[in-house]
Amino acid sequence: MLTIADVNAYYDQFHVLHDVSCEVHEGEVVVMLGPNGHGKSTLLKAVCGLLDRVDGTITYKGQDITGWSTEQLVNQGVIYIAENRELFGDMTVMENLKLGAYAKNARKKEKRNLARVFELFPRLAARKKQLAATMSGGEARMLAIARGLMSNADFLCIDEPSLGLQPNLRTEVFNIIKEIHRQGKSMLLVEQNIPQIADLADRVYVLEEGCITFQGSAEEAAADDRLKEIFLGM
Amino acid sequence: MYIEEYLDVFISGLTNGSVYALMAVGLTLVYGVSRAFNFAYGSFYSLGGYFAWVLMVYLGLSGGYLMVLLMAVPFLIGFGYVTEKVIVAPLRKRSDWEVKVMMITLGLALFLDNGYQVLFGPRMKSLPPIMTGAVELGPIYIANQDIMIFVLAISGILAFRWLLNNTRIGMAVRAVAQNPIGAKIVGIPKNRIFAATFGISTVMVGLGGILLAQKYFISPMGGWDILVKSWVITAFGGMGSIRGGLLAAFILGMLEAYVGYVFGMTWVLFALFGVLLATLAIRPQGLMGKWG
Repeated sequence: MLTIADVNAYYDQFHVLHDVSCEVHEGEVVVMLGPNGHGKSTLLKAVCGLLDRVDGTITYKGQDITGWSTEQLVNQGVIYIAENRELFGDMTVMENLKLGAYAKNARKKEKRNLARVFELFPRLAARKKQLAATMSGGEARMLAIARGLMSNADFLCIDEPSLGLQPNLRTEVFNIIKEIHRQGKSMLLVEQNIPQIADLADRVYVLEEGCITFQGSAEEAAADDRLKEIFLGM
Repeated sequence: MYIEEYLDVFISGLTNGSVYALMAVGLTLVYGVSRAFNFAYGSFYSLGGYFAWVLMVYLGLSGGYLMVLLMAVPFLIGFGYVTEKVIVAPLRKRSDWEVKVMMITLGLALFLDNGYQVLFGPRMKSLPPIMTGAVELGPIYIANQDIMIFVLAISGILAFRWLLNNTRIGMAVRAVAQNPIGAKIVGIPKNRIFAATFGISTVMVGLGGILLAQKYFISPMGGWDILVKSWVITAFGGMGSIRGGLLAAFILGMLEAYVGYVFGMTWVLFALFGVLLATLAIRPQGLMGKWG
């Protein structure tokens, strides 16, 4: 579904990604693991048209999407869900969700997607009129994911969904992501937490210092002593 | 001074304040959404006035102000939109673009003002009153013209508010103002929103020109006074705060009316800047500003 081939990406002048290649098949959840500051988020941003300079080739559903604008990508069904959420703070939950359906292809399905999102996030349904800025960390994270789903995307790029959440909320967010996956969405997910992703990921890549240093199934990743050392300090 | 005179001045302050509010909100809108400061804002005020003058006086079209408004709104939106696309947008990608935008809009202002002088001559033009007659309210008379100006200015502000809160484009405008990255992520075409806000603000100030030209004439350089006043109101009310801008417009409209009446018009700008300086000394963010 998504193929990233020999991608080099730059953040300002820094050369962050070095010849990164990876892929996500239809219906898969692929998790990109790696220490902080080693280029995981940059990879997602490169895919979603949020960087000024990306070399290499990115194809989505057989189409070369390298250099496409975020606006075009959203309309093609690729959505970025930011680590720091990037909500519209002075707007209500409902307005945030409506803006999630701004892309042309999402407008027609706004009603249907809204119903689905409220089914998935009953907490949001109860807070339609609350301002996004006044929500707790966990709720805001859920709103960010829900807003992403409103775009009617088939492919979600989720940046550290568990960041800064307490363990119980973390589990809740991961359960929701699992449910979204079950409903047929493909995902490229960036994370640092191995234990949580073991039963979520179909495949795992590890990104260190801008290079892919491991790829395999979730079981293989969990069994790898070196990975344990890096991410769990065991 | 009799109480009746105070009331007359009060009406005048209220009328002018409503138009100032409309114009200041337009200036705040562009700055709040795109951080661009438009030095040609005053010249767009004159543009509205001259546009109405050409239709009503030069061409002598019948149909009154309704026809003028129906034609002026699309003309001004289009003019603002194209101006942003052609001269402002290309600068956005460069470093220090904010300063460059000030320079190029200043250039545009001089170009337009001199263009008005060439086309229409240096002599002042005036527009016929939108309505004649007056309403007698106890000891005072309120000109129907003042009532209409007030009603139209407030309608303009309410229409803008409705647009911002209830339409897809209005929500997109607020989204870009609140979180440009978030707006990009959900697929809002930022550049088109910038151009659209420029167009909307051009309508607001141009409409101000059409309303006030009935009372105060149009002249080639007449827009500078408006640019200064809109800017003072925006800074006084607080950058980026539409509610602050509204409050400031009425306070300064009143102040202008009373200072002009009691001490003479030459003291008006002096008083406006005096109040602005005193306010900013105590509250640097303005009455309701979000940014310091």
